[in-house]
Amino acid sequence: MYFLNPFLLFGATAISVPIVIHLINRRRIRRTEWAAMRFLRASIEKNERRLEIEDIILLILRCLLLILLALALARPTVRRGLGALGGVGLTPSTALILLDNSYSMGATDGAQLRLDKARKAAEETLDTLPGGSAAALWLVSDTAQPVIPEPTRDLNLVRKIIREARLTDHGSNLLPCLQRAYENLRNKAGARKELYVITDGQVLAWQRWSDVLQLLNDAKRSICTRVIIVGDNDEQNVGVSDLRLAGGLPALNQPLRFEVQVTNFGREDLRDVRVTLSVNGDPPNDEGAIEFLPAGSAKSISLFAKLRTDGFHAVTARLPDDRLAADNRHSAVVHAMKELRVLLVDGTPGRDARESGVFFLRQALVPVSPVEAPQYFIKPIVVTPSELPTARLDGYDVVILSNVFDFNPDTATSLLQFVTRGGGLIVFPGPNCNRAFYNSTLAPLLPATLGEPRGDAEKQENIATLQPKGYEHPIVTLWNDPAAGTLATAHFYRYYPLTPSTNGAPVTVLRFADESPAVIEQSLGLGRVLLFNSTANTAWNDLPVRPAFVPLLHRALAVLLIRRDENLNIKVGEPFAWRLGLEFLGKETAVITPTDEKDYGRVELVQNVPTLRQTHTDNAGVYDVSVASDPPLTLRFATQAPAAESSLKPLTVAELKQLGQSAQVLHYPQEMALRTRIEQEAVGSEIWWPVALAALLLGAAETLLAQRFSRSK
Amino acid sequence: MASVPANSLLDPDVIAHAEMLGLKAREVVEGYMAGEHKSPYRGFAIEFAQHREYVPGDDPRHLDWKVLGRTDRAYIKQYEQDTNFVAHILLDGSESMKYASGDLSKLQYAKTLAACLSYLIMLQHDAIAVNIFDATVRESHRRTDNRNALVNILNSIAAYQPQAQTDIGNVLHDLAGKVRRRGIVLVISDLLDDEDNILRGIQHLRFAGHDVVVFHVLDPYEIDFPMKGTVELIGLEYQPRVIARPAELRKTYLAEFEAYRTRIRDGCQKSKTHYVLANTAQPLSEMLSGYLAFRLHTTRR
Repeated sequence: MYFLNPFLLFGATAISVPIVIHLINRRRIRRTEWAAMRFLRASIEKNERRLEIEDIILLILRCLLLILLALALARPTVRRGLGALGGVGLTPSTALILLDNSYSMGATDGAQLRLDKARKAAEETLDTLPGGSAAALWLVSDTAQPVIPEPTRDLNLVRKIIREARLTDHGSNLLPCLQRAYENLRNKAGARKELYVITDGQVLAWQRWSDVLQLLNDAKRSICTRVIIVGDNDEQNVGVSDLRLAGGLPALNQPLRFEVQVTNFGREDLRDVRVTLSVNGDPPNDEGAIEFLPAGSAKSISLFAKLRTDGFHAVTARLPDDRLAADNRHSAVVHAMKELRVLLVDGTPGRDARESGVFFLRQALVPVSPVEAPQYFIKPIVVTPSELPTARLDGYDVVILSNVFDFNPDTATSLLQFVTRGGGLIVFPGPNCNRAFYNSTLAPLLPATLGEPRGDAEKQENIATLQPKGYEHPIVTLWNDPAAGTLATAHFYRYYPLTPSTNGAPVTVLRFADESPAVIEQSLGLGRVLLFNSTANTAWNDLPVRPAFVPLLHRALAVLLIRRDENLNIKVGEPFAWRLGLEFLGKETAVITPTDEKDYGRVELVQNVPTLRQTHTDNAGVYDVSVASDPPLTLRFATQAPAAESSLKPLTVAELKQLGQSAQVLHYPQEMALRTRIEQEAVGSEIWWPVALAALLLGAAETLLAQRFSRSK
Repeated sequence: MASVPANSLLDPDVIAHAEMLGLKAREVVEGYMAGEHKSPYRGFAIEFAQHREYVPGDDPRHLDWKVLGRTDRAYIKQYEQDTNFVAHILLDGSESMKYASGDLSKLQYAKTLAACLSYLIMLQHDAIAVNIFDATVRESHRRTDNRNALVNILNSIAAYQPQAQTDIGNVLHDLAGKVRRRGIVLVISDLLDDEDNILRGIQHLRFAGHDVVVFHVLDPYEIDFPMKGTVELIGLEYQPRVIARPAELRKTYLAEFEAYRTRIRDGCQKSKTHYVLANTAQPLSEMLSGYLAFRLHTTRR
């Protein structure tokens, strides 16, 4: 037995009340003189013993009465068995219903969604609650959304909210939700505290399995947990697990290659899986098929699309419908650019173009004939280091420093601000470089410091080569496919050893065969800096004349720009934030979600920068944003659901058995009626009212006896 | 208790009611003056009473010569003689008489009764002797029929303050021993003493030929014991105090009290003594006139 309001047990000290009253009354006794004392004394002598006994009986009854009242107010509770023995019926419970609304709950068995079954199960659960019970409702996925945060006795309201519960495209992770739920319930009063978890039994939802079991086990003493599983064992599902712009820059009217990753989450191999790619909801631009997709594996297919206008485009990959519709399409937003302006800072201009240090860079940036060059979307502009301080950096998307000796600190600061605001910077050091300047003045900007140059470019001895495989960075993953050529054929005769900076979070893009870094990048604010360790011409290496140089440079540019636009593609549930100019501050915004809901807001200051924010991103897909400015600004962003949620693999029988040791596991609707099952397991009954009844009876007995005892004797 | 002015003891209402009735001696009383009451002395007065045989020493003047002439027997002719009586008022002045459940204490009631009786008796030219007693006689006024002395008596009664416990039986025995002439003894008391002693004292008085009337002065609370709640009762005659819930004891108390009263009443009846309950809740005039009317009705003339 335990008490729900144990502090009220202190009320038992009230047994001192009748004693105190007795003492006070002694002081308040009416005094009077009396003449006929001998008759009174005779009467007292005859009744003295009986009066004493009666007084003691009444005192005991009164003390017991107060003790029982204190007990009743402390709400004593016994476990099921004791409650039943005592003939006590079901007492009102405090229930918290966790209704899974992750996107796997959108799986259908051909007739209804798992969420539909979950809603029915939740409503039946409410029916099982004894009269006077209170219930709260949280929608859970990888996060908990307390739609009815605190238990309410208005169960009709709970039913209404259950019926209105909608799917999200969140993944599922029940552990944090369970932790919050238990914490919430522990703070609630009530003899019976019950937690209902209505989910599809997807194994993915029960991450950190041992921790979940431990949590359930710890809670079972005070909280009854029931897991109601509405899923089935059919785990066949195929979904688009990734969609990305695979290479190049999002230029207008250029065929852009998108890599669509399709995963077979089922246990059966699939053949001829058709995939389509469309832009902005138009008919498919391209389609393809994966001939063979083994069970449990993922394959990528390249599909192409062209973007006809500059701005934000929604690219969507689709699969044929199957039992889980949510992962059959996957959208990403691409920011198409009409032109990409690159400022080349040439540290060694030379006497003619061929001697220029940026000659190869120019050729690689505009890999078309001179006739077509004006129409090409990359517009390189070459300046000397002395012209750099006067260059208006905001007019460029990327700045490339090639073998620049140094420049004044103000220019370094301007360059830092340029990168922080979203610009890209590529640095090719060379023999002309002032290493001290790079390692000190440019240290806040660069992802690594330059060491003493190694190798002899003249003798071309001790040649270093790039790693032949194991490319991990997006810039170079292309060369994981042997058909795309190799980077390992490039020879590096002389280079600066790179030591990654300890300030930021530098990432090695490319390594030499001896594992020492050759290219390192680092994000800085909204921009990114890429540091090569050798020249951009053939002075110290022959990379610029290798075929891989052009795609390497273009992919590097793409990664620099994607950094600026990577906020356009976020995970479901993440807040969207887009920085805007000061002229947009306070402007009204309207966001149309993938479910055609409209959210209105304003551009507000976030860290002193006007920012457009959208926090309601629970559905995967494309969000259209418009800002009421003049002219109106429109943009798009996309949210992607976690691909792992597409795996419908259920908990195994052994796992369910383990779960059953700490919670009651019910399968809906296969098993017998929930009501019967739940009532069979009713846990914990308050016995305050039998105690209160005993107190009442005692009170009545006390009254009767007091009346009887006070009769004249 | 503050002393009460003597005049206030004479309740006009009581006097008015009682004056009409008067206090008649039930039996023969011995007085010095001719009065309204039968004298035990026979002989020379107006109204013939009886003959008795002459014995040597009798005054030959009272011989009935006619009887002697006819029968040759010497008879003395006796006549009834009216006389006045002496009423001995015995007022209980013990501590227990101080009790009052309301405004009127038993002592106050008893004092008024004694005063009224004194006045009435003197009004009809009888004599009174007033004694205020507890364990012994505290104040004593010798026999007098002088109305001028009434004021002193009343002042004395009014000024009296209780001092000690009572011993009624002893006082009655003393009185019976001291008073030779038969008269009326009016005992005004709550009789809260050993009833056997009291009854023996009464019998002693009766044996001495006194006409005894007992006014049993009681407070209504003593009769009904209606107190409620928890009460600390402080004994008036040095008994230890008692804390009790009277309501719970009422039945036993009343049984005890009624038994005691019954014993007193029966004892009085046995010794041909009038027992009069003087409940202080009852107007004195009503009580006294009631008794006097009864007495008038039952007194032989």
